[in-house]
Amino acid sequence: MLRNVSRTGRLTATVALGTTLALTLAACNRDSGGTDGEGGDGGAADGASVTLSLSTLNNPFFVDVRDGAQSAADELGIELEVVDAQNDSTAEANQVANSVTGGAEGLIINPVDSDAAGAGIGPAVQADLPVVAVDRAVNGAEVDSLVSSDNVAGGKQAADALAAAIGEKGEVIVLQGVAGTSASRDRGEGFAEGIAAYPDIEVVATQTANFDRAEALDVATNLLQSHPDAVGVFAENDEMALGAVQALGDRAGDDVAVVGFDGTDDALAAVQEGTMVATIAQQPVELGKQAVEVMSQVLAGESVDAEIPVPVETVTSDNVADFVK
Amino acid sequence: MNPSTPDAPERPDGAPAPLLSLEGVTKTFGPVTVVEDVTVHVRPGRVQVLLGENGAGKSTLIKMMSGIYQPDGGRVVVDGEAVTLPDVRAAEALGIATIHQELNLVPSMTVAENISLGRMPRRGGLLDRKAMRDTARRALERIGLDVDPGHQVGELGVARQQLVEIAKALSLDARILVLDEPTAALTRTEIDQLFRVVRELREAGVAMVFISHHLDEIAEIGDSVSVLRDGRLVDEVPATTPEPELVRLMVGRDIADQFPRRREHDGPDDVLLDVRGLTRSGVLQDVTFQARAGEVVGVAGLVGAGRTELLRSIAGADPYDSGTVLVEGRPLRRKDVAGAIRAGVGHVPEDRKTQGLVLGATVAENLGYATLRSTARAGFVDRAGQRSRARTVSEQLRVRMRDVDQTVGDLSGGNQQKVVFGRWVLAGSRVLLLDEPTRGVDVGARVEIYEFVNSVTAAGGAVVMVSSDLPEVLGMSDRILVMSGGHLAGELDAAGATQDQVMSLAVRDVDRDAEDRAEGAES
Amino acid sequence: MTTATTTRPTGRGHSRVGRFLAENGALVGLVVLCVALFVATPDFLTGNNLLNIGVQASTIAVLAFGMTFVIVAGGIDLSVGSVAALAAMISAWSYASAGMPGWLSVVAGLATGALTGAVSGMAVAYGRLPSFIATLAMLSVARGLTLVVSDGRPIATASEVSFLGSTVLGVPVPILVLLVAGLVASLILNRTVVGREMYAVGGNVEAARLSGIRVRRVLVTVFTLSGLYAGLAGMLLAGRLTSAQPQAGAGYELDAIAAVVIGGASLAGGVGRVSGTLVGALILAVIRNGLNLMNVSSFWQQVVIGVVIAVAVGIDVLRRKNTRH
Repeated sequence: MLRNVSRTGRLTATVALGTTLALTLAACNRDSGGTDGEGGDGGAADGASVTLSLSTLNNPFFVDVRDGAQSAADELGIELEVVDAQNDSTAEANQVANSVTGGAEGLIINPVDSDAAGAGIGPAVQADLPVVAVDRAVNGAEVDSLVSSDNVAGGKQAADALAAAIGEKGEVIVLQGVAGTSASRDRGEGFAEGIAAYPDIEVVATQTANFDRAEALDVATNLLQSHPDAVGVFAENDEMALGAVQALGDRAGDDVAVVGFDGTDDALAAVQEGTMVATIAQQPVELGKQAVEVMSQVLAGESVDAEIPVPVETVTSDNVADFVK
Repeated sequence: MNPSTPDAPERPDGAPAPLLSLEGVTKTFGPVTVVEDVTVHVRPGRVQVLLGENGAGKSTLIKMMSGIYQPDGGRVVVDGEAVTLPDVRAAEALGIATIHQELNLVPSMTVAENISLGRMPRRGGLLDRKAMRDTARRALERIGLDVDPGHQVGELGVARQQLVEIAKALSLDARILVLDEPTAALTRTEIDQLFRVVRELREAGVAMVFISHHLDEIAEIGDSVSVLRDGRLVDEVPATTPEPELVRLMVGRDIADQFPRRREHDGPDDVLLDVRGLTRSGVLQDVTFQARAGEVVGVAGLVGAGRTELLRSIAGADPYDSGTVLVEGRPLRRKDVAGAIRAGVGHVPEDRKTQGLVLGATVAENLGYATLRSTARAGFVDRAGQRSRARTVSEQLRVRMRDVDQTVGDLSGGNQQKVVFGRWVLAGSRVLLLDEPTRGVDVGARVEIYEFVNSVTAAGGAVVMVSSDLPEVLGMSDRILVMSGGHLAGELDAAGATQDQVMSLAVRDVDRDAEDRAEGAES
Repeated sequence: MTTATTTRPTGRGHSRVGRFLAENGALVGLVVLCVALFVATPDFLTGNNLLNIGVQASTIAVLAFGMTFVIVAGGIDLSVGSVAALAAMISAWSYASAGMPGWLSVVAGLATGALTGAVSGMAVAYGRLPSFIATLAMLSVARGLTLVVSDGRPIATASEVSFLGSTVLGVPVPILVLLVAGLVASLILNRTVVGREMYAVGGNVEAARLSGIRVRRVLVTVFTLSGLYAGLAGMLLAGRLTSAQPQAGAGYELDAIAAVVIGGASLAGGVGRVSGTLVGALILAVIRNGLNLMNVSSFWQQVVIGVVIAVAVGIDVLRRKNTRH
């Protein structure tokens, strides 16, 4: 199309567009990152500049992690620079390297991929920066601390909650997350272990919906077609659970019990409405907050635990009120 | 076997034994027999001409020589031995090289790279640039072509590209050279350059097969002519055979007049097209001329003289810096094709395949593009009307096709060209701008196109015709404008003009550099 | 949805069936696929499941209808997935945050799609960017704006939007939308001047220009329509989930392109039919549905889908080659 174009014209336009894009994105980043933390209670960490590298901000869970980290940073007087790897390990490695060059004094990393991050945080380790991993572990490199929820235990709790809701018998369907991710592996493993304790429950189908609500809607619709007698659905995150609720329509909650994972706002609302039986609440705000607090301690020269578990709780209609903000 | 077919490899006049022969070959595609029992001998130091209308089987014969097709009957003989040529490589290995109309060069690579393409010399795993340049230089010297081997092929004109391809073939030790319409896209001077090379190769004992639609070239360069009609060999005659006789053999009937120009408009000869001082930096210089109702104005000149650019500027396809174009007294907006069409201008571009037609679309679609919007109601296409108009006009122009829903790319060159003409008949154009209207069109269809030009002028239209085919310009124009280096070098009355007069105007004050520059801009 | 440019049968009776099959290879493929799935799983050929497939095909089909305009005109639109998400998000935001009435929020969503499409079209027609680049830029811009507007969180949609995801008198609304959108697209391509001009521009842009067709105007129209259809697809997606998701539609552009190409269009331009595109979208939906029903592992699903795309297009290429001569 339009082959007879002048080369310079095209080049100029491309450069102009690219520049505009870059500037726009930079400006946006600044707005949402919010580096203007007010000086807080003082301490060794006061005014320290810390980079928070998140796997993605394209997911409410990590937006909550960021918010928790930001509020803790504001309180402690830490200057928090937030970068978003958009689920790309390579981008994450580049961002880590950039922040080390940019004079960051500490790195809080939420790896896109645990294995890739081992090499990715290399520049920070070489510069002797303290590193705290949050939500997902870093494999193959020493970090000062790992702040995470226990996904395997959460999976077991989900199995128990689902079993209780369906009277410990019947057919259930599992919606998996993105194949190969640690969250999907651990939650799936925990659920399988947990559900094995109930001999009358049969897992009749296990299919992926890639942690995506729209995809879960289609996949759940299809699975309910081939397994009309299913009485329970376990989804490895809340987005997929909500997709399944959509697929079930009026049957959600009454005929079929849906259990999700994460404790997002939408899922908590669904638990309140009764369309979801339970969600396993991770506490993303707490994850972010504790990660910053641990970082602050490391910067102050205090010793910290290598693993800091953030409680995972089963949220049902009984206790949902405690979680809704 | 056809009695007129020369069976014996040795001929009474002492012609040398053939290097390559097709003996009684037949080729069918499905139910259609495209070549039937044809025998052709190609001898060293001779130029064997294949003559016939489009569809007569010339291309198929060539493809059998070059290993693209394999004959269903008969045999291919090289050096006296029957061979099979399963692919192009096999033919090349036997020294048979084909220069196709669509050149097989990579425009973005240099001359040297193109000549060595597929067998680039290596040293220590790396490209040996020096050896490659030397090979190229030797190959270019052999045909006396003065081109820098480091030059990008895409920046050369068509003529030089063609010579580069010949050089490439010869560097592959080709003994048999098949030239498929090599002169179709060349100007007279370029043709002279090509023929010089061909004569040298003939002296050197290379055997050649030559295809051309230009009858005058046959006597000039050929030795013997195989005339084909409907897939059969009609006769083999000496190249000195007079043109009318060749035409008779080719079409199977007499064509009384190759250029049947008749000026029979009897209305007032108003000025329809008035071009004043058209100028575009480096391309057109102050071009001023008029075309009147009932008149054919021929435009001659070398490639790169600005003829095509002149037509494109008038038609609104190209911009210009200054000047005015008026149609029936009303000025046209610059670079506004749709406006020009509304004013009555129809433009048949130089290359119907890349500029004139949407090859994948139907005949009806292609005929209707210029009138799609003007005949529509509330943005919806008048489908029935467009189809019936398309049917009428294609009958009127005698477009040979299955029906108007046939894909235009499947038609022959002449019929494709008629479809481009038909578009402007539908649009009611009174000023027709024709750019090389009969290039790649065979004799029969060519005369039909000339008759169409006559009918346009008879109805009070005006035609501006750019052509590199001098006999055509002389035969079909009423007046001839000669362009050179972007300006009008002169004007001749077609009645008394000769080819020499036209050429001397065309090359006047054109130095070699300017020609090269123009060539570069053209390609 | 009727035929477009290709050669039509000459009316020789005995070859009519053969010609039909040759010209509708994708349709034959769809039928074969359906028969195979019916044999493999009895759940497949039920009225309910067929409606499910229709609903599940609707989003991709609507995107692909828009893509058909672009591909017929010789371009490509990589931005449709992101534009769908942006349109849905703007619609939800204008209802939830800006307080627009529900019906107006639907208009706002569609307008957003058309506007972003028009911008891409201008960049191609007047900025002379290759459509691949212009829409690649728009892919990023639209996704970014979606995140800016939503702050990474889903927003609930107006009930007028949710209506698009509901069922009326037993017929799912997405299927109705799909049919109407397809008919309109077919009407535009076959019956309107600008539609026929799209084929001319895609078939040979220079010939089109010299015939007086205003190529730039056609290009802007083409991308605007593609954007409008993307906006509609976004509304469908949001309607089915009753909320606009920030990550909705990611990667859908590739499915849409696949549907158009499976349907017999040429990426070189000038060839393509709405009916073929519909069949292409249905093939993708049927494969996903069938693999779900048969509980095929997610790893293999991706392999199967890739192979089907390659085979479908490969057969088409062979068929075209053979019909020459």
